[in-house]
Amino acid sequence: MAANRDFLVSRLFLKWGRVVLKVLLVWALVTSAGWAASPVPKVGGVLNAMHREDPPSLSIHEEATISTNWPMMPCYNNLVLFDPLRAQESPDTIIGELAEKWEWQDGGKSLVFTLRQGVRWHDGQPFSSKDVKYTFDLVREAPGVTVRLRVNPRKAWYSQVVRIDAPTPSTVIFRLKRPQPALLMLLASGYSPVYPAHVPAAELRARCVGTGPFKLKEYRPGELIEFVRNPDYFVKGRPYLDGIRFIIIKERGTRIAALQAGQLDVTMPQEGSKTASEQLKKAVPSLVVVVASHNINDNILVNFKRAPFTDPRVRRAVSLAIDRRGYIQAVRQGGALVGGSMQPRPWGPWGLSIDELAGLPGSGDPAKQKAEARQLLAEAGYGPGRPLRIVVSTRAIALYVDQATYVIDQLKQIGIEATLEQVETALWFPKLTRGEFELGANLTGLGADDPDANFYENYVCGSSRNYSQYCNAEVDRMIDVQSQTLDPVQRRRLVVEIQKRLELDAARPILGWSLDYYVMWPYVRNLVPHQSVYSYARFQEVWLDR
Amino acid sequence: MRAYLARRLGLAALTLVGMSVVVFVLLRVAPGNIVDLVFQSAGYVDLAQKQRLAHELLLDRPIAVQYLLWAGQILHGDLGPSYRYGRPAWEIVRPRIPVTIELAILALLVSLAVGLPTGIVSATRQNTGADYALRVFSLAGLSMPAFWLGMVIILVLVRVFGWIPSMLYVSAHTDLRAHLLLFLFPALAAGYRSAALISRMTRSSMLEVLREDYVRTAWAKGLHARTVVSRHALQNALLPIVTVIGTEFTFLIGGLVVTETVFNLPGVAKYLVEAILWRDYPVVQNLVMFIAIVVVVTNLAVDLLYARLDPRVRYG
Repeated sequence: MAANRDFLVSRLFLKWGRVVLKVLLVWALVTSAGWAASPVPKVGGVLNAMHREDPPSLSIHEEATISTNWPMMPCYNNLVLFDPLRAQESPDTIIGELAEKWEWQDGGKSLVFTLRQGVRWHDGQPFSSKDVKYTFDLVREAPGVTVRLRVNPRKAWYSQVVRIDAPTPSTVIFRLKRPQPALLMLLASGYSPVYPAHVPAAELRARCVGTGPFKLKEYRPGELIEFVRNPDYFVKGRPYLDGIRFIIIKERGTRIAALQAGQLDVTMPQEGSKTASEQLKKAVPSLVVVVASHNINDNILVNFKRAPFTDPRVRRAVSLAIDRRGYIQAVRQGGALVGGSMQPRPWGPWGLSIDELAGLPGSGDPAKQKAEARQLLAEAGYGPGRPLRIVVSTRAIALYVDQATYVIDQLKQIGIEATLEQVETALWFPKLTRGEFELGANLTGLGADDPDANFYENYVCGSSRNYSQYCNAEVDRMIDVQSQTLDPVQRRRLVVEIQKRLELDAARPILGWSLDYYVMWPYVRNLVPHQSVYSYARFQEVWLDR
Repeated sequence: MRAYLARRLGLAALTLVGMSVVVFVLLRVAPGNIVDLVFQSAGYVDLAQKQRLAHELLLDRPIAVQYLLWAGQILHGDLGPSYRYGRPAWEIVRPRIPVTIELAILALLVSLAVGLPTGIVSATRQNTGADYALRVFSLAGLSMPAFWLGMVIILVLVRVFGWIPSMLYVSAHTDLRAHLLLFLFPALAAGYRSAALISRMTRSSMLEVLREDYVRTAWAKGLHARTVVSRHALQNALLPIVTVIGTEFTFLIGGLVVTETVFNLPGVAKYLVEAILWRDYPVVQNLVMFIAIVVVVTNLAVDLLYARLDPRVRYG
């Protein structure tokens, strides 16, 4: 009875949480619209932006971290980009950058781009369709292309592209094996800049030659990445800023102090937790805090190839045991949302609704679900007389360890005796790739809030980040079907079914989707955090009202 | 003296070669390398790509071969490329050396300016209120971690004044005032601990000397207190103090990690940790060798200074 009451209370709490979040989202949209509508943007000034570390390299195509995207996006352009002034990314918010217009042809199997003319690279060379073909042939490792990226995290995004044609200097055609409406979403991600064909890709790890609104002036490792306005930028009147300085401050307390002291104008994405932003706002009430999602989920990797997790009953028991709402309160202090494998609503358009989540493991009545988990374990041969002993591995980073500790506590409640293994960061992904773990407490960031970007990277049999080694032919088929479904409503329906299936299979139980509490000074205008952190750092529209 | 110097320099060279072997091997036997980290950052692992990158960086060769290649580069004046930044390691390391040396010297000046007088006062006024207060002051300096003190300084500055020193390095010839402000607080934070140590060493060394017969004789002759303390006592108490100063300087050169990190100064120590975390072998090796050279030279300088301070010391 008490458990049932707790369950009802938590449901009520969750509903209120959703309402509050919707209000916040509307507030964020209204505020950003207000900024966008500000009548007279001021030209000039240098924006001092926070940066937490040196990027692993300056080459966006070779990295999968915000530490590269955040400072390097201002240097480049995409063919298309999510509108920087609109908080929610979707096919409707895609705008042209190097592409003036685009059109699906051949029943959705050809995507034709008409490019802007007169665009020049920062070194003065003219931009043409040759550069676009070069870039995406490089990323998809097209047959006959001998140059290779050192690291190529997003090759899978372009697995449906069979050929890229550049019939004229201002026309590019992506030819696909089958329709893939998501391709446009992938091309609009901050992870899809166009590289210059005349500069070796390896050189772009240490310098930047783009067509973007800002030119790289100086990179002092460990100190500063500085950009100046590109005076020849093809969008007239942009950018508004004279320059941007990404000031690298390794120590978190010092970064926050620098923001408070006005040495920084904005934080960086993924920097702000709920608690930290509340403290900051209390210390400096004039600071603006924008709540946004950032397309990163906390999840559990279940090794499908290693006993006892070869048994579906044990996998399901683990997923059932972990109370997701409890996790969000205990580990994320309320600064996260429950969800499936796609970013939850209201931030993400593909996320599961409350009703859709209700029947899934970890989202129901915790007491009932734990009882069910114990029953499943008993059926699998584990119980008080023969407890299941496992190891939960995670990175030796505080947030990961918190997550793993919570999981261990939840598992203990169903009789699983789990111990914690902390793994040094350098060894984490090699260990996962070799499958040398039983359960892993993990975080997954998604480059674009699109099912193709997620499913083909993380869930399809043999995909590059499918560390659980989950493989289900039926799910793969469903993923292929959604990928080529042109009707958005029908596609969403399929995506919902896939998410439910993934959660029921415990492919990678999702514990929650954390929120970003982005902080800036009120004079910073037109910097609108999106629901994916990887696509809003062009800074073309940003201006300083002081 | 020349023979002694030659022998010490020969030993120093051997020490440096030994250091280079130890550092080289230890780095490579530690788990993980730059290739692992590059893929960790990309969030996936592709074995073929990993092998290609390891081959490109010569990490697939035996350690002995890698060492000989590196030593050959060094002999040709080439410190090798930084794995992480794809630039010559010297280009990365060079601007950091003056920052750390300047901070270490300033911290040492702070420690001398505070540590010596407080140690002397403490010794000459043994068991008085001033002595107790100064002993608490020095004990606090030894007990207080530098990172904590640094963070407290930053927090107090931002809370009380809404201001902190610049987070960007400013060179002395660009803006001397800003440059000095930049170094003032880190020098205070790092210098406090050394000051405490020097103060305690000065006190105990002075107390010992002040009880010597020749000091008593100096007092009996009616010499001025300043003369007794500075010429007769301090000069003879300096030997252990100089040893501590030398040790502190070498400690400061390699041990300013936290201070440089908290105050965001682009120095050697902060960068060394970063390079170790990224397994940027060429940069780590070069920075460690730099620190080793400073330690060897400082120790040699301290030993030579002994002869200057104490005429009884002879090298031959």
